[in-house]
Order: sequence, then structure tokens, then C-alpha cells
Amino acid sequence: MSPDDRLQDIRSMLAAGHRCVHLERSTLLLLGGVGGFLSVVTEWVITDTRFPDLGTRGMALLIWLAFWLGGVSLLEHRLTRRARERRAETLPFAQAQVTRAWWMLLSVGCLGSFAMFFYGGGSMIYTLWTVLLGLGVYFFGLFSRPLIEWIGLAIILLGVAALAAGLPYGGTRWLAASAFALGLPLAGWLNSRVGDAGMHQRTLALGLWLVLVVTPALLMARSNHTPPPAAPPLALGAQALGSGEQVLRLEVGTPIPLRLDLDSLFLQAPSHAELAMTLAMPVEVALSDGNPDGRYRFGDGQWRDIRDGLLQLRIDRLRGRLEDGRPVVRAHARLDSQDFTGGDQ
Amino acid sequence: MTLPALDPLLHQPARTQLVAYLSARGETTFSELKRVLGVTDGNLGAHLSKLVEAGYVATSEMEHGRRSQTAYTLTPAGRIALNEYVARLSALMTLSVDGEVAGDASFPTDGHPVS
Repeated sequence: MSPDDRLQDIRSMLAAGHRCVHLERSTLLLLGGVGGFLSVVTEWVITDTRFPDLGTRGMALLIWLAFWLGGVSLLEHRLTRRARERRAETLPFAQAQVTRAWWMLLSVGCLGSFAMFFYGGGSMIYTLWTVLLGLGVYFFGLFSRPLIEWIGLAIILLGVAALAAGLPYGGTRWLAASAFALGLPLAGWLNSRVGDAGMHQRTLALGLWLVLVVTPALLMARSNHTPPPAAPPLALGAQALGSGEQVLRLEVGTPIPLRLDLDSLFLQAPSHAELAMTLAMPVEVALSDGNPDGRYRFGDGQWRDIRDGLLQLRIDRLRGRLEDGRPVVRAHARLDSQDFTGGDQ
Repeated sequence: MTLPALDPLLHQPARTQLVAYLSARGETTFSELKRVLGVTDGNLGAHLSKLVEAGYVATSEMEHGRRSQTAYTLTPAGRIALNEYVARLSALMTLSVDGEVAGDASFPTDGHPVS
């Protein structure tokens, strides 16, 4: 054996010693399952009808996430220790530290989700979770096998790309669910097969991982159509609104006033203050017992649900100025639907 | 020209690997070392005994539930020995590249046989 071979031997054993963190199968299944479950069902549990007050809703979400993620983290920690004990192995120092960093990321996710109720940015909530998941996996990967590191990086980039490409809210939700529920167990499975393989096989494994995680998410987002109401459209004022399901058709030019309900210590607005607006294109709205149930469509387009997050209101400027000697507050807002701005759903 | 002498205790493939792994991993159990190095119980036990005798590796008892396990760590002396071994190997490699050392047979090992 030449000195070069011996040095190579030493280097590979040093790398094996440094990269001794091992993600247990139970860890991947538990975190993946709970993360996927939360991504899918949280919106059905924490609703504005169940928690009408914003503060209460935020607190309910925080408790809901903390309960599930705290519980699964403790369980995962116990199971990992037990698995190491069963194999008569010590828990590496790096694994203990990375687990702490992982818990910190989960806490940041919970607090970020809570803060979005008060400071905005709610449309990015699933992207935030996807990026945090990617960071967690990447941290583990740094002390585990390189494939895990690559997958962590891929998850981060997926989250960022989804945001940059303007993937609709529903799409980011399914992407987060898929990255958790499919991505984590799949990462473990691929890692056990090609973790020590060369660059070529690792690249193929990463490609397979991307296809198997992104495709279902996009298919789910695409197939998640809002069911159209069965009732025929009624013109506004044509008939008294009754019980059950009805569809109201609002034609171009229909006045839709924006009524302002302002809570402020230094400004007062009369309770009847309103901004006169008119529809620029026909809209159909589904009603349930005389109240909008969240379904709508523009013209003869596809039915949407307000909860899909395709409608986006941005108030990008709010400035005080003097106009003709009078103080005025000018706001510039943009209300768009991804039906028109190219978002894919 | 004097060739750098290599530590005979470390100049054995399994022991070099064992010490290198312990250096990076920290406290490790017998089972893990056996799995990583892919050696038999007897073989690993013999190598570990030699390293413990030389003061390169220290042992401690760990409680694993109801079972007790022996854990192995590299001592400061073991770490210094590994660093010196790597430094001397690197020096030999430089000489080898310069064409002064032909192969493994000529490695000087402090005058002790390698076992």
C-alpha cells in the first residue's frame, strides 16, 4: 500500500466519522407524515368561521402546529435514541446539535405562521415551510451522506422557484405537502440505495426524487377544481334571494362600493364611508342561503374558490400629500387574479 | 537523507482506519466500529487492546437501558500520534513523488515489526 493509498484511507475514515449522522426511517416517516398532514388539513381546521377573531385564529394555529410538531419531535427523538441503543451505538454529537437546529427551524416556522396573521405575507406560508424543511434536511445532510445534502438544497430551491414563478397559493400548499409526505421517506429510501454511490448515480437519484415529488404536487394543484354550482345564474334584482344554492350574475358596470371600516386613534371615517367602484367584467358569485359561499368566476371562465388564493390585493403605496392646499392620503393598490396574470392552477 | 519513521502501531491498515474514524467520530461503541470497519469481533478486539495499551484509545462504560456498553475514544496522545503519522506519510509521499522511495517495503517503522 503506497503512502497515497494510506492517506486516502485515512481521509475516507475521517469523512465517515464526520458524516456519521443517520436519519432513521421512523424520523422520515413521522416528520414527513405529520408535515404532509398539517399542510393539507390545517386550512380545514383553522378557519375563519371557526375562529372569527384574527388574534384567536392566530393563537389557534400556533397551538395546533405546536401540538403536532412538538409531539412528533419528541417522539422522533425518543425513537432515534432507541434505535441507536438497539444497534449499540452512541448518538453522535453532530446529530444532537443538528436535531437542536431542526427544532429551532420548526419553532421559526410556527412563529412565522403565527406572525403572518398580524404582519401579512400569508400567501408565502407554504413556501416558508418548504424552505425551512429544505434547510433542516440540508443541515442533516452536511453531517450525513451527500445525497441528503443535495435533496435539502433542492427543497430550498423548489420553494424559492415556486415563489419566483408565481405558483398559486394552492400549488405551494401541495408542493409543501408533497415535499414532506413523499420527499422525506423517498430521500431515506434513495439514500439507503445510492448514498455512497458516485456523482452520476447521485445525480440520477436527485432527478428521480424531483420528478416523484414535484409531479404529484402539480397534478394535485391542477386537479383541485372548484365544483361549479348547479343553479342557473340570476341577474341582480331579478328575483328575491332565497335559501339553498343560487348563482348571482353581476354585469359590467355593476356598482360594487368598497365600504371602509377604520379603527384608528387619530383618524375617523363615517360609518357610511365608501369608495364607489364598478365591475369592469362580468362576475358570477355562488350564494348559499343568500350569502356568498366563496365560489366565483369571471365571465364564462373556470369556477374558483376565494380560498385558492388566486385573488391578490397589494397596497403598495400609501402617501400623505397636499392637493390644492388640502391634506390627502393617496393609496395605490393592485387587485389581480392569477386567472389574468398567468398563474397556473 | 533520513526518511521519516512511521509509528509501527498505526502503520497497520485496520488500526489506521480505526484511529482515523475515532478521531472524527468521537465516542464510539464496539458494535459501530465493527460495522464501519467490517472486521470480526476478535480482530477488532485485538486491535483495540493494542491501542488501549499504548494509551492511544481510552475506554469508558456506558449505560444503554439495562445493558452496559464499552465506549472507545481517542486520547490526546492518540490524536497526536495520528497527526504525526499523517505528517510523516505526507512527507514520504513527497519523497515518493520525487522518486526517492520506491514502495511500501521501504517504509521505515521506528525499527519495530509491524503486526
